[in-house]
Amino acid sequence: MTDDSKPISRKAFIEELRRYQKGSVTRRHFLGVTGLGTAMAVMGGSMPALLPGRARAADLGNRVVLATWPNYHDPANFDDFADKFGVYTQVNVFGSNEEMLAKIQAGGSGWDVFVPTNYAIQTYVDADLIEPLDLSKIPNYDPASFDPRFAVAGTIDGKVYAVPKNWGTTGIAFNSKKTGGVVDSWKTFFDGARDQFDGRVMVHDYQLTTIGNALVYFGHSFNSVDPSDLADAEKLLLDVKPHLYAISSDYQPAMRNGDAWLTMCWTGDGKQMHTDMPEIGFALGKEGGEIWSDYYAIPKDAPHREAAYALINFLLDPQVNAKEALAHGYPVADKRVNDLLPEELLDDPILYPAAEALAPLEFGAAVTLTDPNRAELMARFKSA
Amino acid sequence: MTKEPLSTDATTQVRAGDTIAEFVSTSKQYGAVLAADRLSLRIRRGEFLSFLGPSGCGKTTALRMLAGFESPTDGGVLIDRKDVSKVPAYKRPVNMVFQQYALFPHMTVAQNVGYGLRQQRPRMPKAEIAAKVQKALATVRLEAFGPRRIWEMSGGQQQRVALARAIVNEPKILLLDEPMAALDAKLRSEMQHELLALQRSLGITFVLVTHDQEEALAMSDRICIMGKGRIAQVGTPQDLYDRPRSRYVADFVGKANILEAQLTRVQGDTGTATLANGIAVHPQVFAGDTAPRKAEIAIRPEVLSLAAAGAPLPEGTAALPARITHRTFLGDHTEYLLVAEGIGPLQVNVPRQAERVLGGHDVEAMVQILWPAGTGLVLAAEATTA
Amino acid sequence: MAITRRQARALLLTPAGLWYAALLLLPLAVVLIFSFGERSPIGGYAPGFTLEQYANLPSRFAAFRNTLTLAPLGTVAALLIAYPLAYFLALRVDPKWKTLLLVLVIVPFWTSILIRSYAWIFLLGGKGIPALLAQFGLEDIRLLNTPFAVLLGIVYGYLPLMVFPIYVALEKLDKRLLEAAADLGTPPWRSFLQITLPLSMPGVLTGSMLVFILLMGEFLIPSILGGGKVFFIGNAMVDLFLQSRNWAFGSAVAVALVVIMLITVAIYSRLIKRFGASRDDVGLM
Repeated sequence: MTDDSKPISRKAFIEELRRYQKGSVTRRHFLGVTGLGTAMAVMGGSMPALLPGRARAADLGNRVVLATWPNYHDPANFDDFADKFGVYTQVNVFGSNEEMLAKIQAGGSGWDVFVPTNYAIQTYVDADLIEPLDLSKIPNYDPASFDPRFAVAGTIDGKVYAVPKNWGTTGIAFNSKKTGGVVDSWKTFFDGARDQFDGRVMVHDYQLTTIGNALVYFGHSFNSVDPSDLADAEKLLLDVKPHLYAISSDYQPAMRNGDAWLTMCWTGDGKQMHTDMPEIGFALGKEGGEIWSDYYAIPKDAPHREAAYALINFLLDPQVNAKEALAHGYPVADKRVNDLLPEELLDDPILYPAAEALAPLEFGAAVTLTDPNRAELMARFKSA
Repeated sequence: MTKEPLSTDATTQVRAGDTIAEFVSTSKQYGAVLAADRLSLRIRRGEFLSFLGPSGCGKTTALRMLAGFESPTDGGVLIDRKDVSKVPAYKRPVNMVFQQYALFPHMTVAQNVGYGLRQQRPRMPKAEIAAKVQKALATVRLEAFGPRRIWEMSGGQQQRVALARAIVNEPKILLLDEPMAALDAKLRSEMQHELLALQRSLGITFVLVTHDQEEALAMSDRICIMGKGRIAQVGTPQDLYDRPRSRYVADFVGKANILEAQLTRVQGDTGTATLANGIAVHPQVFAGDTAPRKAEIAIRPEVLSLAAAGAPLPEGTAALPARITHRTFLGDHTEYLLVAEGIGPLQVNVPRQAERVLGGHDVEAMVQILWPAGTGLVLAAEATTA
Repeated sequence: MAITRRQARALLLTPAGLWYAALLLLPLAVVLIFSFGERSPIGGYAPGFTLEQYANLPSRFAAFRNTLTLAPLGTVAALLIAYPLAYFLALRVDPKWKTLLLVLVIVPFWTSILIRSYAWIFLLGGKGIPALLAQFGLEDIRLLNTPFAVLLGIVYGYLPLMVFPIYVALEKLDKRLLEAAADLGTPPWRSFLQITLPLSMPGVLTGSMLVFILLMGEFLIPSILGGGKVFFIGNAMVDLFLQSRNWAFGSAVAVALVVIMLITVAIYSRLIKRFGASRDDVGLM
């Protein structure tokens, strides 16, 4: 376990982690408060001598470093991987694509595999931080079995830089006891915030979704960087701000204890809250919003390249991937995996919304992530 | 509060027998410890009184009860015939010079001295305060030091600042808690003279606490000797030296030989007593003493003298045969330690002048200790202190 | 080979000197250089020389305003609570209880401020204190995600840092000075103002300085108890470095913060000179 300049004690971290695992803190918030981008290895891999040495392939080495989102894997799979290949996986968890990008940009991250979201991949390619994958080393990646919507962002200029992991959406979680019914539009969301839901609405502390959904309110693209569109969004956000309960990606506690009635919400959080409190529902904005997809990629300076390919290939094995999905509960784009998952999971409207609900959603674009005007708009909104 | 201003005209203040403060059967108990045990004492206006005793004897407790830092658990403390037992320190017309001076480190010398005046309500005009401060500083010969910081001052100077800070308020009683303890010997005797001169010129009653008998003897009009929380004896230095009522006092003030004896007769202020070796002596007795009884006789080493064995005796002088064990030459006198037959160790101090005329004696020589009639003192029968 | 005193001193100071150079001056220099640069198109830093970042500082006016009001306010509030507590611990408590009580003051420090702040989320949230107030007819009181909540959080979080320097100053206060003041005619409340308070000023200033400087850089408590709506300079910097990755502007904000701190420290040393009455009291910080 690395101990590089954590601003939080080990004990506090574990407590936070437990809270996170119980589903009351979102991943971004969790990392924001605990690590602030400091990589935290949560797998006990610092003692390789204790690992079973059988079947160790000399060319794989004995370790591989994975940078990913928290609570996004089944730890048992890493044990199996170590058993099979003699390679233990050191997992570093992160809070945002921005943080991941910053770390790789700075160089010497030491990562072998990481998990960028669709809109970040172009930036990594432009900055020459990742290189095309040698698909011959990932035989488990069968493009034909993947829904192309969730695979396309990995291919740039005809070259595959990343392979799909999971996907999800950003919608609206509402407490139906307080809102008096389903809230499924950003119009109701932002107008209600200034009216019947005054002081009860939360937006993300994340420019991509908060600005994106404000743009969607006006009928603009979720990804717009057009100055006049952004001016609309800014006006709306500044107007709404005094009426908000909070600007925070840690919306679960406030939703759960009834302080907040309405929030922007990622798929997994919506599912967790709905499971525990049926009155909390999750809906997609009918004007639009975000749909996203995470990918596996290998940094150019990966120190254990062969082990990285082995790990990606292992995790994409449908049997392994199904176990992953059961552990973290996010939808998978691989139909070989879906064939292995239970019916009730596939029928869950939160995890797998109807096609017409998904239709207006947009994938985040690369420019949406990096546009300085959006970043500055968000900062002005927060510091207003 | 107001501190009644005192006239500095000494002649109007010093009236013999006039009591300025009084302990009336005053006791102070700390848990199981009785620090002051039924103290009864009148302090006279204008006198210099010292509480003398070893540490833990209760002298500091007495002073602190006078200052108001401690309140008696029994009995009372009067100042100017008013019971002040329940009056807090800040309302009492007394001021203290503390042992380590307790000067305010965040104030200049002048600010320290003027502190008490600035506390007066209604407020004293600034100009008046400044004038009084300057006068007080002049009194302790620090007139140029007003703007200095406390930590820029030497120990002796700090002592004088503390003194000025107290006297500037013209207290009815100035309390001094071991004020010279932190000074070196030379400075100490200088300060003793200064203090005495100051006391004479101001006419303020001084109450000093000390464990140093020489200091007490040199400075005091009267000394109150304390032991184990009680007053052992109060008197002038001469009185205490010449007529100690108890062995404790006799031992504490100067050196004394204490001999056990049988008092056989009392006639006026002289008695007849038979020592352990059967020799009769004629010491002084306190008025009202009675015989016969077992008694202790105190006699100062310088009252006794030595003569060669077999030498003729002056009229009325008793002679104790003794052997010299030690001889120490001390300049103005020689100190002999002897073992008197049937009595035990005794000390005799022979003045240098007498030794010059009569000759010295060698160690191991057999001599006679000469005890003139009317010398020595039969200690009081009731004196059981210590 | 003989080493002179001077050489020995130089030798002894070398590790500390290198430490400061490497960990304080070097990063500061980097931040200063960055602050004149630009944001690279994909975020981070791009070399350049422009005053644009500094010109943009007014866009963070609210962050500076919030920090510069809540930090002093929090410091004063912490002081007002800490002083009586420290006074009680140093001068009034039976010595046999002292250690225990001092430990109780530190105990909260054993848990991360993060966890403790989360406890306040519950206490200040709808099911906490507001629910209690509703019992007394005070309906719909909002506490969480307000400047008040942030103030409460920072006072709570930094109280021990204020208590201890004051406690130490009061503890070593010569009690005979109070007797001397009483002896010279000062009633207790006045001797507090004239003696105790001035002589504990080094502790007060040290505690205030510690708390104030830390509050100026605070970001955790505002983000947890302010719900993102009470924005400090620290939050602005976290956002600039980690979210919008505008390192150049973030550096300019950092430089501005350092300048404000330097001014504060300068004022502090002036004050400590005035109040640092006796030499041994001055070097508390």
